[in-house]
Amino acid sequence: MKRLIAGAALALMGLTGAAGADEYPERPIMMMVSYGAGGATDFQARIVTMTSGNEDALGMPIAIINKPGAGGRVGWNWFATQADADGYTLAAYNVPHFIAQSIKGGVQYSTDSFEPIANWGADPAVFVVGADSPFNSMEDVVAYAKENPGKLTVSGAGLFVGHHIAALQIDQASGTKMAYIPTKGGGAAAMKAVIAGEVMGGINNLSDAFRAQEAGNVKILGVADLERSAFLPDVPTMKEQGLDVDNSSVNFRGVMVPKGTPPEVIEKLAATVPEMFANTRVSKKMEAGGSPMHIMTRDEVIEMWAQRQQTLNELLAGL
Amino acid sequence: MEFIYYFGDVFSPLSFLLLLGGTVGGLILGATPGLSPTMAVALLIPFTFQLEAVQGLILLGAAYTSTVAGGAVSAILLKIPGAPANIATTLDGHTMAKQGQGARALQLSFLASAVGGIFGVLLLIFLTPVLAKWALAFGPSHLFWLAILGVTVIGTLDSSSVVKGLLSGCIGLWLATIGFDDIMGAQRFIFHPALGGGINIIAALIGLFAIPQVLTMFAKGRRNVGAEVIEVQRHSILAAVRELFSRTRALSIGTLIGSIIGLIPGVGGQIAGLVAYDQTKKFSSEKDKFGTGHSEGVIAAEAANNAMVGPSLVPLLTLSIPGSPTAAVLLGGLLIHGIFPGSDLFDNHPDVAWTFINSMLIGQVLMCIFGLYVAGLAARVAQVPQSVMAAIVLSLSVFGAYSVQSSMGDVYVMACLGIGMFFLERFGFSAAPLVLGLILGPIAEANFIQGSMIADATDGRGAYFLTGGLNLFLIAVVLASIVYSVWMELRHRRYTTKEEAQA
Amino acid sequence: MNRSQHIFGSGIVFAVGLWVTWISYTQQPAEAFLFPRLIASVFVVLAGWTFGKAVLGLSKVGIGVSRTMFVNLLPGLVVMLIYVFWAAKTMGFYTATAIAFFILLSLYDPAPHAEAKSWIKRAIITGVFVAVMYGLFALLLNVYTPKEILF
Repeated sequence: MKRLIAGAALALMGLTGAAGADEYPERPIMMMVSYGAGGATDFQARIVTMTSGNEDALGMPIAIINKPGAGGRVGWNWFATQADADGYTLAAYNVPHFIAQSIKGGVQYSTDSFEPIANWGADPAVFVVGADSPFNSMEDVVAYAKENPGKLTVSGAGLFVGHHIAALQIDQASGTKMAYIPTKGGGAAAMKAVIAGEVMGGINNLSDAFRAQEAGNVKILGVADLERSAFLPDVPTMKEQGLDVDNSSVNFRGVMVPKGTPPEVIEKLAATVPEMFANTRVSKKMEAGGSPMHIMTRDEVIEMWAQRQQTLNELLAGL
Repeated sequence: MEFIYYFGDVFSPLSFLLLLGGTVGGLILGATPGLSPTMAVALLIPFTFQLEAVQGLILLGAAYTSTVAGGAVSAILLKIPGAPANIATTLDGHTMAKQGQGARALQLSFLASAVGGIFGVLLLIFLTPVLAKWALAFGPSHLFWLAILGVTVIGTLDSSSVVKGLLSGCIGLWLATIGFDDIMGAQRFIFHPALGGGINIIAALIGLFAIPQVLTMFAKGRRNVGAEVIEVQRHSILAAVRELFSRTRALSIGTLIGSIIGLIPGVGGQIAGLVAYDQTKKFSSEKDKFGTGHSEGVIAAEAANNAMVGPSLVPLLTLSIPGSPTAAVLLGGLLIHGIFPGSDLFDNHPDVAWTFINSMLIGQVLMCIFGLYVAGLAARVAQVPQSVMAAIVLSLSVFGAYSVQSSMGDVYVMACLGIGMFFLERFGFSAAPLVLGLILGPIAEANFIQGSMIADATDGRGAYFLTGGLNLFLIAVVLASIVYSVWMELRHRRYTTKEEAQA
Repeated sequence: MNRSQHIFGSGIVFAVGLWVTWISYTQQPAEAFLFPRLIASVFVVLAGWTFGKAVLGLSKVGIGVSRTMFVNLLPGLVVMLIYVFWAAKTMGFYTATAIAFFILLSLYDPAPHAEAKSWIKRAIITGVFVAVMYGLFALLLNVYTPKEILF
């Protein structure tokens, strides 16, 4: 009888206990996206994880779970405090969003709560105006902002997300103050405000702005990045137009796990996931959707996070 | 008339098979509690990776139309609204099912859906350029007034006492503020970690409608067999068609309101059904029958729901702006194939655009045929003994609330709201106004704050919210709605006091 | 229905209203609580009105909770609370659902408890239902439920 109980206990442990790295993953994996279904992050997350079931990738499918709300705070709070650190719960990160939010306070996470795995994309912020707007360059925009302090309305996806960081940097570089209007409903709602003429300009994702420009609805005046984008070779960067704005607002998207995930699991993921992103089927779909890819390994991401933490600390200190 | 040339593509074997599969699958997904149309479409996206652009969109379009209609099945038979769109359907539909008229309610709801849906898609086909301008006309101040218009409906929606109706609405408005405030990111009323994400509307709907019903069944205790079995009446489809067209007022009000409201980005889908229900009630000669299993209620609500589908895609297809979460998911389905909505879509890929739109038109018809076929069978659910029914609805509620975002917190919220609502209902409060508050609160708040920020930077709040043709028009409608409600209440009161005096 | 029940019911709503109002007016930042304040003010006035009417015995709407009703309800409610707040997460969704479903049927199904036949029938219904749920949510929709205790 004793033997039977011991056997049963052993079997139960085998079922519930943490599996070793060799077997990982032995069941489907869940990946939390802290924005709604249909948003840019959700859309890209679904594409980059679509090959995870292949034998040369993880060999198990990744299911996307959306926990939207408050510019991502809801999802990341959940991930930092309630997610199991067993390697079966991943999350998508958006830098600078979650770092800026953690500096601003009121949330239960910081860069120390998460372990990055790999980065898949980088989407710079761009400055857009309606197709019939009198502004034709950032110079015009800054000139207007200088003449009418606080009157230039600019939409963006929320407070302390990449768009807001870009707005703050433009303010700082030009010595002006724009009226930044955060919208509920993400980049799409912010773009709608620009097209409908509710605001005079907007800061939006390059991928969405590119599409809106193709449709003839907006003009893109500047890219908040170090170099011009391959999608928009004719649009100058902010730096070229005399505004000292670096790439701090670029929206980096990638995969992370909660702190406390077994090191073997992190190692395995860090080795496999960047290769999974590099799959040609993935890059084709991403390119078709106008989403710029930028694959980075775990070590590169750790460095990038630390760098952002520093720049954002300085930028947000004055607020 | 360009769209006619592409009808052939819809009927190519693979496309038609996908259309059929999407419709049937969509009805099943729509009838599953906790699966909103948005989630159902998102679940289907991976399947479209392997398909060509046209075929992928046919599948998604068919699924979208039929999930919206499928939501009526669980709303009518189980009193679990699958999405906010179906709330109004439960009010009369479930009562009809309890009286054994489930087949009639389902037939009417599918027929009304098809009529409304076809009208909506035709609007999309013929009036897209005009409608696109209309969709853009709604800025923050207009959306704010629109939400206030919704609030004025609260008191009279489904409650025997106006004060308690308004109080229910206030509870809903308050519940909506729980969680992170969306614009500032401040935390409000988070007294338990399960509330960190706020109250999920789908989980709340399941709790508020389904759980009180489970508890009511428990409260009846163990009864003898036979005492409770409802006779499910058969109802011929022909009779349903005849009834539908004799209720032209409900049908046309529902269809028109659904198409107009469906256009407005960010608001439409959630309140179209409720607004149409309320307006039909106001214009009806049989006002008192609403809420007691009156067919006009079902017809108006379901016609509005499906009429909204076509127009809700206008901002996406013409301006590349997704006007609703479902449209955002459809955008993903287009982008994966390298197709950008907007002029690019109609100029360079007319085959994709028109085949997609045509498939939604055919999809409405298929949805209706299939729906009518199962209506008679599905109505037999009412014959399931109450003890079994209570256990089934409870389990479905738990699974449904959980599957919205794989969160136990949503299940706890669902159960707490449900138990609370059961006792509140005993004291004359009702779920419909509470839910309306829950939906409208965030719309009113976000647009007020956003509008104020724009106004503060430009011409001031007074000018921003109170001037302009559309603002004034909406304010006038709000005032008319309040005056009408007060007048009806007073007239009603005089009648009741007279009756009491006579008795 | 009796007056004390109405006083109790509307009293709780009024208490919630007071609490909400208090929080809305004391918490910071003030801008974020602008809307809650507005709502809370209307809420508390209406709740006070309803409570006042109940105290004066003027509440007419609502049928209240009778004693037999409550006695009937209680076992089901207890099973539901245990199922939702404890069993689903600890035992796994499918196991917990099977157990709760069977208990609820045994409690409320009018078929006699002494006959073996009715017990078999209940077990079959439970089995079929859980199998359908598993097929729908786990196999078809890939919903990611907590780990099961039995399998």
